[in-house]
Amino acid sequence: MAHEAKSLSTPTGSAPIDVEADAIQAIGMGIAQPDDATALRREEAGADYEVALESLNQWQLAWRKFRHHRLALMGLGILASFFIIALVGPIVWPFDFNTIPQPDVIVYQGRPPSLVHPFGETGGLQRDVLNLVINGARTSLFIGFSSMALGVLIGTIVGSLAGFIGGVLDNVLMRTVDVFLSIPLLFLILVASRFFGNGNVMLIVMIFAFFSWMGIARLVRSLFLSIREREFVEAARAVGVRDRRIIFRHILPNAISPIVVSASLIVAANIISEAFVSFLGFGVNPIYPTWGNILSNALTFIPLGNWWWPFFPGLMIILTVLAVNFVGDGLRDALDPRTRA
Amino acid sequence: MGKYIVRRCIQAIPVLFGITIVVYAILLAAPGGPTARFANNPRVTEADREKFKKAWGLDQPVPVQYCRWMGVCNPDNEGLAVFISDNGVPNFLPAAVGGGTNGILHGDFGISISTGQAVSTMIARAALPTAILAGTALVLWLLFAILIGSYSAIRRYSFFDQASTVFAYVGYAMPTFWLGIMLIFIFSGPGLNILPAGGMTETRLSPPFGSDAYWTYFGGHPVQAILDIGKHLILPVITLVVVNIAGDSRFIRASMLESLSQDYVRTARAKGLRNRVVWFKHAFRNAMLPFVTNVGLEIPFLFAGAIVTETIFSWPGMGRLTIDATRDFDYPLLMGVLLITAVIVVFANLLADIAYAVVDPRIKY
Repeated sequence: MAHEAKSLSTPTGSAPIDVEADAIQAIGMGIAQPDDATALRREEAGADYEVALESLNQWQLAWRKFRHHRLALMGLGILASFFIIALVGPIVWPFDFNTIPQPDVIVYQGRPPSLVHPFGETGGLQRDVLNLVINGARTSLFIGFSSMALGVLIGTIVGSLAGFIGGVLDNVLMRTVDVFLSIPLLFLILVASRFFGNGNVMLIVMIFAFFSWMGIARLVRSLFLSIREREFVEAARAVGVRDRRIIFRHILPNAISPIVVSASLIVAANIISEAFVSFLGFGVNPIYPTWGNILSNALTFIPLGNWWWPFFPGLMIILTVLAVNFVGDGLRDALDPRTRA
Repeated sequence: MGKYIVRRCIQAIPVLFGITIVVYAILLAAPGGPTARFANNPRVTEADREKFKKAWGLDQPVPVQYCRWMGVCNPDNEGLAVFISDNGVPNFLPAAVGGGTNGILHGDFGISISTGQAVSTMIARAALPTAILAGTALVLWLLFAILIGSYSAIRRYSFFDQASTVFAYVGYAMPTFWLGIMLIFIFSGPGLNILPAGGMTETRLSPPFGSDAYWTYFGGHPVQAILDIGKHLILPVITLVVVNIAGDSRFIRASMLESLSQDYVRTARAKGLRNRVVWFKHAFRNAMLPFVTNVGLEIPFLFAGAIVTETIFSWPGMGRLTIDATRDFDYPLLMGVLLITAVIVVFANLLADIAYAVVDPRIKY
């Protein structure tokens, strides 16, 4: 566990002493703090307790706070299990759109959940809904997370450029962001998926990324503007540190927590948008199961009352988005240096 | 104050201009362009495609196409004369002083490729159903969000507060269209079958909404017609409202809690004022300040939600128009819809800023 004491007498800040490192250490990074275990040892150690401090780095501190956030831990658990399902499930129980499950029995009506088929069977081709949901998880999660990663990358680059260089470039980039944000993004994503997507998963990921960087760019720019003026950056500049090093070693590490938190919101939004775009038939090729495609196919079977068909993929979307939101909440508390666990 | 409003309006102009460029650029970059609609039609030859392009002015250079669409260029002229209207004055001037009549500057959005009707007519026809749906949703959304949010703040940590927290988390994570589908399955499926699954009016009772025949029918049986629309509104409005209530009730709860902890609330209590007076006169009014801006910023989501909802419930509004235009690669219609939506969003944001300046006496300009 990250929080366990490494040595009883580690002094605060054992990092090599140079101006730059000290500057980084002074902010945000771990300020040594005793926890309960240390307090116990402190009593045992008697007079020695004043040096019985442990040093935790930023991430160890964050994890310690995150662990106390019960909902966030639960969200992390749900996400982890969904990832395992998405990775292993399709290998163990692949979806094969060439095979119709029960070719000799012609039953148009779907079947409600039972012990053999816990999520029921679809109307029409009588596919197992659990199988569809498991195989859809891979595509849906892949689109949600990879488009977020790409979008955050673009947003961070644009925001850093705008915030660090400033001037005309800043103006041009930020006005572009303004314009993009004045059109409801869902409309643009919808149109772009139809016009450029071709049902291809990788193209859809790129389209989603292309429309998810604006918020991050705005955020990173404002962080750069404020961090740029802080003393430790000034100190680094005074000792002659080059721009690139200032950006990557001094400014970006301090901007990470807000970026991570808004990235979690992007994942949630993109998973829902993927489902929506696929639902309308403009997303991933409808012969492959994604959570949106399953919902879309269910819509024609309303008169038969196959409620289990759209219910379970929707439930998966809700659980994923809830989990992502909880993890985002937990991260926000954990990465905020002003709160202490 | 007046100066501030004027300045904000002027700032909106470059944004609107930028929107026309972004919308145009995205559609322009699409592979195949407007002829993509014929991609799977074996009977359309290359010659037909060229003819189609010529008929719709798509053979012109892109800047010329854009300027024609904007109304800066006159499609009847060639060479440098394109900027001059038929009456010999610059084409972008209003028609009243002799300028051109084409382009969005003159209110002409072009002609839909798939229906052949004027885009402005189609949008005007779809605007009323969307306004009915979004308007009803907006009123209920604000009402419930404010009620739930402020009640949970007043009775903090009560059962109601906990329940509304759970509702907010789940509602916020719920995809709108999924909620719509489930509602249809529950209320219009074979089990209950008490509410209509889609449409705006009962087609067996009345002519299609918006036609002249409909309005004569409406004049004849106003109560029946309104009840009919009301019945068709129930499910779409619930679908549209739940997500927004979930998010905003949390927002109001937070801002209400903050204003309940302010010094002036303590002062009011110390004066011996009754709880109700403190809540509504002191805390509530201040808690609403940040919410005013928030509502303006959420209008885009209301619109985005409306496209989804209208698709599921086959509501004949702007959302349906957008989806149809997207599916059919109907460029002029799509540009018109996107532009109108963007304009509404920009003005909603503008109104939110101005409203904030009006309601918050601390802001001076």
